[in-house]
Amino acid sequence: MIELVNITKKYAGQEEPAVKGLNLLVRDGESCVLVGPSGCGKSTTLRMINRLIEPTAGTVLIDGKDIRETDPDRLRMGIGYVIQQIGLLPHRTVAENIAIVPRLYGWPKDKIRERTDELLELIGLDPETTRHKYPAQLSGGQMQRVGVARAMAVDPPIMLMDEPFGAVDPIARNHLQDEFLRLQSVMRKTICFVTHDINEAIKMGDQIAILDRGELVQHGSPLEILSNPANDFVCDFIGYDRVVKKLSLCRAGSISRKDFCLIRESELPAAAKKMEEQRAEVSFLVDGKGVPRGMLTAKWLKDNGSAFTPKELKALASQGHKGFIQEDTLLRDALSLLLELDLDYLGVLKGETLCGAVSMADIRQYASGKEGD
Amino acid sequence: MSTISFFMDNIAFISKYAAAHFSLIFTAVIISLLLWLPVGVLVSRSERLANAVLGIANTLYCIPSLALFSFLVTIPAFGLGRKSALLALVIYAMMPLVRNVYQGIKVVDKNVIEAARGMGMNSWRILREIQLPLAAPVIFAGFRITVVMTTGVAAIAAFIGEKNLGRLITVGMNGYNVDMIVTGALLISLIAILLDTILGFFERLIIPRGLRIHRG
Ligand SMILES: Nc1ncnc2c1ncn2[C@@H]1O[C@H](COP(=O)(O)OP(=O)(O)OP(=O)(O)O)[C@@H](O)[C@H]1O
Ligand SMILES: [Mg+2]
Repeated sequence: MIELVNITKKYAGQEEPAVKGLNLLVRDGESCVLVGPSGCGKSTTLRMINRLIEPTAGTVLIDGKDIRETDPDRLRMGIGYVIQQIGLLPHRTVAENIAIVPRLYGWPKDKIRERTDELLELIGLDPETTRHKYPAQLSGGQMQRVGVARAMAVDPPIMLMDEPFGAVDPIARNHLQDEFLRLQSVMRKTICFVTHDINEAIKMGDQIAILDRGELVQHGSPLEILSNPANDFVCDFIGYDRVVKKLSLCRAGSISRKDFCLIRESELPAAAKKMEEQRAEVSFLVDGKGVPRGMLTAKWLKDNGSAFTPKELKALASQGHKGFIQEDTLLRDALSLLLELDLDYLGVLKGETLCGAVSMADIRQYASGKEGD
Repeated sequence: MSTISFFMDNIAFISKYAAAHFSLIFTAVIISLLLWLPVGVLVSRSERLANAVLGIANTLYCIPSLALFSFLVTIPAFGLGRKSALLALVIYAMMPLVRNVYQGIKVVDKNVIEAARGMGMNSWRILREIQLPLAAPVIFAGFRITVVMTTGVAAIAAFIGEKNLGRLITVGMNGYNVDMIVTGALLISLIAILLDTILGFFERLIIPRGLRIHRG
């Protein structure tokens, strides 16, 4: 647990402090993203947690203990630190770079070697071919990975990451973020993560702390912040697509409804009746193996249904044959598909089987709801 | 031709002069390294100290060697001879050595140092394992300049009584012995060029492997 209590930092010669009276709590196993425009004091805040900078006033506590009670080098050895520029030692191999902190702890050689290989595997680099390379022989993305691996070498419970994926192209960044989230879901480290990219904050943070000119303007979960921005600054910082961003926090499975019914091709003429009986708003056409082939909505049938022959009904139902998503699809992507296919409903699949339906109205309701009810 | 026969006829005392020359170079360079390398490291810790020390080094470096030798011999504690010669050489070595150590350490990527500090390396370890290895090529370049410069300036110490290869020139000048002058001038030049070439070879070896690799 990291606690910042009333932290202020004023650099020599500065009129306005870089960080003003900041209070922040990061719970164990939680990742807190510090986000804000350039110069708002994110890096300063982060570097006060491992004493690379001493605050002008205030206290930083780790697990309830004032960090000033620990020798700075000792303190830092126990906290993973990743920076945007990575800072790999250019004259040391990948393995030697990863071994830095284990060596400070005096681990035996074979233990270090084992751990190095384990970490290289973990971050998706082949130990055989990468171990003896020098940083100059790596791509930007590979260097970032090595930087992260190096910070995790002794498995520290706390990681401080200052724009760790800032130096790579967007595609590589996305990939690194996904991989890191996958690791974090297992490791459950306490993480302080700095970025100036709100999308990265939303993606990476359990909690987001928005800073503006050295002050904390809002602290909360991504959903809280996107649902209730504290002020105009936060609104502007999030951008006009605030609601669409919110849709990327929720997966289709969690808002899908169960009031749908399944119909076979032979049942098409009786679809309206079946749906009425089952009080379903939508029915999905499935083939003999249960594979979805299309859909019909109650509203649509009510308006036009009786006028069509079974063959025409099948053709119409088939128009929705692409309208199926997996339950872990983000609502943002679901919305995009609804718009693209011009449908009112999407079928939600769990693997091969239909498990629910999501409507345009459901998404609208989620988007406008406060606090994600 | 007569130069060669002069050299052959006098090889005994010429080699004595050469030995004295080398011993002066060697002693001066050793003392300079022991003194100026730590000073270079020290001033890299503080910008203000660095400015002051490098300013002094620069000023001293500007003093013409003949003038510096002359000043020193007037100081009773030094007088004519080796003490003054050594002191002058060590003073001249300050500039290339301190400056190169300082610059070598300063140009090490700040981010590398920040990352190392952030991982819990102490300053001593950072100096030993990061700054010095990465600064080694620049420091070595300063060492190379020092050796070559010392070879030349040591010859001028013949004016204040050093019996080294420079003496072939001073004595040769007095009696206008052309063969003697040429022998002295040639030998001093050859030694300087030879030392520089040898050190140049080592300079390439001292670049850390990771830095010798270029991308592509
Ligand atoms: N060592 C320093 N000395 C003086 N002022 C500093 C120092 N470091 C940072 N500052 C100032 O403090 C403020 C906050 O800097 P900080 O590096 O924390 O910003 P940041 O939020 O990390 O910005 P960025 O997104 O650009 O990295 C800035 O105005 C900066 O100019
Ligand atoms: Mg920053």
